[in-house]
Order: sequence, then structure tokens, then C-alpha cells
Amino acid sequence: MEYLSLFVKSIFVDNMIFAYFLGMCSYLAVSKNVKTAAGLGVAVIFVLLVTLPINYLLNKYVLAPDALIKGVDLSFLSFIIFIAVIAAIVQIVEMVVEKFSPSLYSALGIFLPLIAVNCAILGGSLFMQQRDFANVGESAVYALGSGIGWFLAIVSLAAIREKMSYCKVPAPLKGLGITFITVGLMAIAMMTFMGISL
Amino acid sequence: MDAKLKETILNPIFKGNPITVLVLGICSSLAVTVTMKGALVMALSVIVVTGISSLILSLLRNTIPSRVRIIVQLVVVAMMVILVDQILKSFEATYAIDKQLSVYIGLIITNCIVMGRIEAFALGNKPWPSFLDGVANGAGYGMILLIVAFFRELLGSGTLFGVDVLNWLGYTPNNLVILPPFALILLGCIVWVQRSIQKDLQEK
Amino acid sequence: MNTNGNIYTIIYTTVIVAVVAAILAFASQSLKSRQDDNEKADTISQMLTAAQFATKADLQKLGNTKVLAKYAEEIEQAFTVGTDGSKVSDLDLDKVYSPKELKKQNYKIKDGSGAEIPVFIFKNGTTVVPVYGAGLWGPIWGYIAFEPSSNTIKGAYFDHESETAGLGAKIKDDPAFQAEFIREQADFTNQNVFDIVKGGAPKNADGTSVIDNKIDAITGATMTSNGLDAAIDTWLGAYSAYFKGTTAKTEEE
Repeated sequence: MEYLSLFVKSIFVDNMIFAYFLGMCSYLAVSKNVKTAAGLGVAVIFVLLVTLPINYLLNKYVLAPDALIKGVDLSFLSFIIFIAVIAAIVQIVEMVVEKFSPSLYSALGIFLPLIAVNCAILGGSLFMQQRDFANVGESAVYALGSGIGWFLAIVSLAAIREKMSYCKVPAPLKGLGITFITVGLMAIAMMTFMGISL
Repeated sequence: MDAKLKETILNPIFKGNPITVLVLGICSSLAVTVTMKGALVMALSVIVVTGISSLILSLLRNTIPSRVRIIVQLVVVAMMVILVDQILKSFEATYAIDKQLSVYIGLIITNCIVMGRIEAFALGNKPWPSFLDGVANGAGYGMILLIVAFFRELLGSGTLFGVDVLNWLGYTPNNLVILPPFALILLGCIVWVQRSIQKDLQEK
Repeated sequence: MNTNGNIYTIIYTTVIVAVVAAILAFASQSLKSRQDDNEKADTISQMLTAAQFATKADLQKLGNTKVLAKYAEEIEQAFTVGTDGSKVSDLDLDKVYSPKELKKQNYKIKDGSGAEIPVFIFKNGTTVVPVYGAGLWGPIWGYIAFEPSSNTIKGAYFDHESETAGLGAKIKDDPAFQAEFIREQADFTNQNVFDIVKGGAPKNADGTSVIDNKIDAITGATMTSNGLDAAIDTWLGAYSAYFKGTTAKTEEE
């Protein structure tokens, strides 16, 4: 039951995009059509799901005070270790996608390497560190939930933008401008979930 | 100064602004623009970090194996940021500044501007132009931050840099402005204004 | 030179990581004592602010050495107590609790596994105790000062790691919020030792707050206010046995 509530909470209440505004850059840039958006969304779910449990274990058994050697506090290294793990995983994903789906690879373009600096990924690890999850399972459930939340957010924005291309938007607002405003309005709507405790 | 260098400096501030044109560094621009002070501190630290890490990576550019370039970039950027943090923390005079900054440390590492400029510019150019490109992009980013923060602090708290501007007139601060979604709406408006002036940036 | 060979890639990565780790480890080790000094002075100035000896801004201007001297001059005794109110051990007079140590005790209070929480008593009788908990984005902590052997609050100071500037950050930046605590009374017989009320605490006819265990929450910062409320309830709850003991003693006298 606890897993279920953590899962639902991380999708809707603590949504990475609408509650914490993490991972905005690629969110705005890769949401022009539903297909690529879904591709990036899946990549984010995957990277979160792999990096979070690894970082959890590293944090618990290596970085925490007294974890590795008594009296040694390595927590000053946590940023760099988290980032290194994330970058390594992203590099692997990049190679796999390039090999098996060249069309997705060319569509994602520069944003695949930029998943490494997708704030949602590092943010996930930092939230994990902050919230002191009890075990690897919880951190994995949290990762899956946040990833799905991010996926839903980007797919829904992409769907709106596809429809919006048929609308008469003032020329200077077209594209980026109206997207900013749309995301702002979506976020205000999602704020109704804020503070709900399950 | 030759024309190319001048272009390197001026382009990121207007025509190729990292936030409103390249869509980089949005996350942090939402988080730190509630107050002018936070925006200013963030802008300065991003200028320092983008400048110096572009410089270092441009020096290393011919030795980096392309397969692990992202890891190398991130490690260098993260090292820079942590060093800045550690040094600021060690001096009595800067400890208070660091306490405010430490919130943003993680945001600087993952700020796409730093990585984006390294990928797109520093890895293919000589150190000096790379350094200037980093600084100029930091400045272009900072400028947008300050504009957004100006409106958010003025309307959301009735103050500027913590000094009362509107409240003594009986202004009731609008809490919606402080919430992050409003920053997005403001950014949308800034894009609107910019693209009304620079028509060639308009999307079809 | 072929920069794409496997061996080159592996050696290059190893060297870069080793160099970076060495630089960071060196920086962290060589700067640690200075950072600890700064952190300690900061914690002490928070306690002095809560106890109304000076304001945080003034203490910052004084500099570390003078802050430490001022503290050494004013502090009378420091010791730890258990959640049953009994004294566990004396603390050195120059020992303070960093947020990290508070975090450890916070766990112990929550699972009831023998927390040892500090009490600082100044020469003028003011008793200062810490609180610690979670805000919206990260940890929040602070110090609450009580009048000698009483449940009347003399002052409070709170700090946070990453609350929203302009909203949640007001627990630290807004002296008016901290001033609300002054003269209010913690109710140690209640599980809700202290309340931060959304929508406003009871007011007297002239607009001043009624002396009770309630103050106003920060508008627009519900999550931070709730977090602070929970932190205060948890910690003062853990101290309630101790405070019941000290206030009862004075009544007998």
C-alpha cells in the first residue's frame, strides 16, 4: 500500500514538471509532436529507473557519513558521483538507441546527450537523498512514478501543441511564446494536486 | 576587436539568447526569479561557471575521446561548481553569500546552458573565443533572469532588492506572481516582445 | 593521435576522474576546519538571536571571533536530555549542534530510540532548544528560546536549506514572523505543543495576538508552515517531559 501511494504521489502530486519544474529545457524543445515526445519520455523513465536505485545504493553504502570507513564523510562527493553515474547511463542509452533505432536517434538529436543534464534526472537523485527512502524498492518505485509523471506531462503538451498548429496564434507568439504560456496554465491547473497527502 | 569576436559576444545577448531563442536553462530561471537578489547571485555564478568551464574544456578539446565526452564535460563542470561552493564557504565574508547560493549549486551543474555551450561551441573553438562565448551566454541568461525577477518581485512582494516600492502605497502583493507558473507566462510575454521586434526569429 | 581507441578512452577517463577527485578531496580537507568554524559561528548566532541577545544581522557584522566570545560570556550550562525528561550527559560549553546532528536526533525522536537532545541554558536563565524538520523543498531547523523555567517563549529563529524565496523563506528572512512567537506559550500538556494556524490565530480586539500556543501561518507558504508546525510539535513534544519537570519545580518553590 505504501508503494502504491508513493507511486501515485510521485506521478501527480510531486510531478517533476508541474510541481518542481525540473527537466524544462528538453520538455519545451522536444514536445513538437507526440511521437518524439513519447520517445524522450520513455528514455527519461528508463534513465531515472536505472540511475535512482544505483545512486541510492551509492549514497547509502559509500557516501553517507561513516558508511565506508568510520569517521569519513564523503557526502561532498555526492553531486559529482550522481552526475557521473547519470552521464554513464545516458551514454549507454545513446549508444543503444543509435544502434537499434536510428530514426529515433536522429529525431532526438542533441537532446539525448542532454538527458544527462535533464534536471529531472539529477533532481530525482537529490530528492531521493533528501527523503531518506527506506530501501531500494522505494527508490525504484519513486523513480518509476516520477518518470511516468514526466512522460505524461510531455505527451500531453505535445498533443496540445499538435492541435495548436491549426490555431491562429499571433505571429510573434507562435511556437515558443505560446508554449511557455500553455505550460504555465497547465501548471496552474496541476497545482490543485499540491499538498494532497495519500 | 575583430568582427567575429564581437559577434560571439553580442549574439547570445540578443539574437541567440539562450533562454528565449535556444530554450536552454529554463528550470533554474523559474526557481531563482522570485527575488532580484537571488536572480543576480545566480546570474553572476552562471557567468563565472560557463566562462571558466568553456575555457578549460576548450583547452582539453583535442584530447577528449568523443565517446566519453559528456562524462568529461560534466565532471569538469561539477568540479568547478563544487570548488566555487567550497571556497565561498571557507571565508567569513562570503559564508553568508554561499548559504544563499548553495540552493542553486545543483541547478548550475544541470543548467543546460553550460553543457549546451560546451557541446556547441567550446569543443570546436579556441580557448579565448570559447571563454567569451561562455561569459556572453551567461550574461544573456542573466539579463532575462533579471527582467523576470523584476516583475515577479515587484508584483509578488511589492519590493525590489528587498526594498519596499509598492507596499507603502497600499498595494496587496499578488501571490500568483510568486508561483512558478507565472514565471513561464512572463517568459512567454518576453518572447512575444522580443519576436515582435526581431521579426526574423518568428516561427512559422 | 587516435583519441577514440579503447585503451586511450579508459586511461583518459581514469586520469580525469582521479585528478578531479584529488582536487576536490584536497579542497574539502584543507578547507574543512574553516568551514566548520563558519558553520559553528552561524549556529551560535542563531541561538543568540533566538534568545534575543542581538539580531542576526548585527551578529553577522561582529564576525566569528566576537560571536564566539559573546556566546562564551553568556552561556551557563549545556546538557542533553532524554525524551523522558531526565538529564543524560553534560555538554562542553563550546559544543553546538549542527543541522546534520539535529537530523540524526530527529530520526531517533521519531522512532523513539533513545534520542539525546540538547538544552542550552544561558546565565540570564533563558533556555534554548533546537527544532528540526522537513519544509517543502528541504530541511528546516531553528532555535526556540524560553523564559527562565517557564513555557513562555522569549524568541525564535529559523533557518532552511532551500525554501521558496519570498514565501517559505520568510521563516528565516521575515523578522515579523519570528517576532510572532514572542510571549506566546507552548502547551506541553498537549500533543499539539504549538500551532501555526492557516487563516489566522485568534486575535484580541486591538489586533494583537492572544497569548496562547497559536500564531499565524505565512500566506502562500502552506507547505513550509505545515512543515515548521510539525517540526516544532515533534521537537517540543520530545522536550515536554523535561519542561514539565522544570516548570513544576518553580511552582513548588
